Amino acid sequence: MFKSLRWRLQVWHAIVLLTVLTSFGGIVHSLHWQTRLQQVDAELDRTAGAVMSQLRRLLPRPPGGRPGGGRRPRRADEAAPETDATSRPDMNVAAAPRSDSLRTESSTDHPPSVSSEQAGPPGPPRRDRFDPGPLPEEFQQLFHGDEESRLYFVIWGGNGDLLQKSDSTPEISYPNLHVGREGLPIRLVRSRPADQTYREVIHAGMFDMNILVGRSLEKDLAAHHRSGLLLAGAGLIILAAGVLGGGWLSSRAILPIAEMTATAESISALDLSKRINVKETDSELGKLATVLNQTFDRLQSAFERQSQFTADASHELRTPLSVISTHTELALSRPRSNEDYRGAIETCRRASQRMKSLIDSLLLLARFDSGAPSLKQDRFDLKPLLEDCAELVEPLAAQRQIRIECEPHSCDVRGDWDRLSQVVTNLLTNAIRYNVEGGHVGVTTRVEGETAILSVTDTGVGIAADQLSRIFDRFYQVDKARSRAEGSSGLGLSICKTIVEAHGGTIVATSDVGVGTTLEVRLPLATESAAAATETKSNEFSKELLLK
Amino acid sequence: MRVLVVEDEPDVIRAVAMYLREEGYSVDTADNGEDGLFKGITWDYDAILLDVMLPRRDGWSVLAELRRQNKTTPVLMLTARDTVKDRIRGLDTGADDYLIKPFELSELAARLRALIRRSAGKSQPIIEIGNVTIDMTSRTVSVDGTAVALTAKEYCLLEFLAIHRGELVTRTKIYDHLFDEYDASLSNLVDVYVSNIRRKVGRELITTRRGMGYIIDS
Repeated sequence: MFKSLRWRLQVWHAIVLLTVLTSFGGIVHSLHWQTRLQQVDAELDRTAGAVMSQLRRLLPRPPGGRPGGGRRPRRADEAAPETDATSRPDMNVAAAPRSDSLRTESSTDHPPSVSSEQAGPPGPPRRDRFDPGPLPEEFQQLFHGDEESRLYFVIWGGNGDLLQKSDSTPEISYPNLHVGREGLPIRLVRSRPADQTYREVIHAGMFDMNILVGRSLEKDLAAHHRSGLLLAGAGLIILAAGVLGGGWLSSRAILPIAEMTATAESISALDLSKRINVKETDSELGKLATVLNQTFDRLQSAFERQSQFTADASHELRTPLSVISTHTELALSRPRSNEDYRGAIETCRRASQRMKSLIDSLLLLARFDSGAPSLKQDRFDLKPLLEDCAELVEPLAAQRQIRIECEPHSCDVRGDWDRLSQVVTNLLTNAIRYNVEGGHVGVTTRVEGETAILSVTDTGVGIAADQLSRIFDRFYQVDKARSRAEGSSGLGLSICKTIVEAHGGTIVATSDVGVGTTLEVRLPLATESAAAATETKSNEFSKELLLK
Repeated sequence: MRVLVVEDEPDVIRAVAMYLREEGYSVDTADNGEDGLFKGITWDYDAILLDVMLPRRDGWSVLAELRRQNKTTPVLMLTARDTVKDRIRGLDTGADDYLIKPFELSELAARLRALIRRSAGKSQPIIEIGNVTIDMTSRTVSVDGTAVALTAKEYCLLEFLAIHRGELVTRTKIYDHLFDEYDASLSNLVDVYVSNIRRKVGRELITTRRGMGYIIDS
């Protein structure tokens, strides 16, 4: 059951669906988190901005400059700015001992305003060193007023001294950042610690101070977790719906196949008449069903032909057998005269001869049917063959006062003399048997292109058109009573056709009722090149018979 | 008993007809379906032997037409086809029995006897009338347990009268059933057979109804 196409489809469908849903859900989930982090970062940036503007207000004005505006033109020999704070060893040690993600950005919206002359602790204190002292109340309010936000900040100097921090600040390590000589302020974003429960933005290099604004992510993480669960739940529902839908679809798709299988199974040798019901002829399955039906048609007709042939053959064999059986029983049933015995024996002999000729014919047909006719490929003239045959049937013709006009021309064909003689004798015998008394039979040959045509014409009663098409069928007899009286089995013409076709030729009958019948045999002329062609055709014929 | 044999093989007809005649039947023959149908309808046969494969009109069609014309004559089909399908078709069309070629003449005769007996409503093969016993299987007649030698025609006449015991059997009916188309219908032939039977079996068995026919009283 689990090896069935349907199950495999189902499983594959589920796997693909699961993969798509998982990756899609994962991407959505992580994008959602990124967006949330960006929002948090923006909030932290805003807060940091507020803190900085407060600080700016509190800062003593540096000589000749605005607070925070002590800008110096960048010197050429200081062109290599050390913007990458992470690359500094002290930074690495102090700044992010446990940071999980640390980003650096060159803050372009804050032009360099303060620069440290020297980097690294213990740096000499700058002249505008600043100790903001206790922050004003409203500033503290920012971090206390909203308990929900859990914001905190830390301000520390370039030498690592803690200057100020909010009360809500958790135990954190803050990096001892040294801004490059150029003093480009940098902005760092980090999540910490390993479980990412805090998000912090560090603005370094501002007034030789570092400002860290952080926030607990606990609530965000919880919300994110919830949305993740929601996403997973929705994914599971979609998966279930998809699998069910897929199952329904696949069973719908498989159903016609199951029907076809059932129908095909019910078609047996006993009943070949059933056909697969074709609903949609354009669909793949419809086409398959049509093709199968055509195969069944061919099978049925082949089977019917075969069983008809067997029935006919057995009937034809049983008849002479009946004659022998009844006559011997009759003769033995009581004492008889010698004459009666002789008569019975003669009848039995006739019957056995008839059986012999019938069996010969059947064997010949069977041999041709099996595709191994073993025909000779001699080259000979048709003229002497026709004359021989005409001579052979002369006594039969004389009995009925029928004149045979045999006027053939020489033409070479390639093939089996004996078999072709059989064909011609058969045609001549028919022409005599089904002729009127005192009629005549004409035998002629002519050449058309590469074809030798021999025709046998009689002046008999002729054959009606509907019967004419069937005269080459096995056991078909136009006039059963007359054929029976003549001892004919109805195999003669089908044997002729089989032999002629094995020679690569054709046989055609034309007839006018009341005027006569003409049978034309067309055989390929024996030229040097035709020899090979005949052989090929003969082979093809064998194959065709095998396929039938 | 008069039977019709419809069969297209002349040698088979010859043997069957001769065998049945020797058995005391009068036999008519037909070598094609049309001829067979015509005879089957025209005459009141005791049984018809019908081949299936016939020229001009096949056995099925002859049988169907006979039954359509309400001819209840028992029909024994002779056929070279022995498939179950053919047998079913034959029996469905109205055939009473089947015989597959090649057949034994003795079996044919036995089946024919059984058919005729059944159609006359006598399923028992032995008829006893007083001290006379007629065994239709062995075709023998005995009086008080002693076998009596009858010729085939004499036996047939006695059997025919015995089967129709209690009915008046007219001379025409006797001619129709006991003599075939080739027998000269000499009017005193029946009288000769009857007097022979009386001489051999006993005077009182067959009663003559003058100018009408004969009867065996039940």
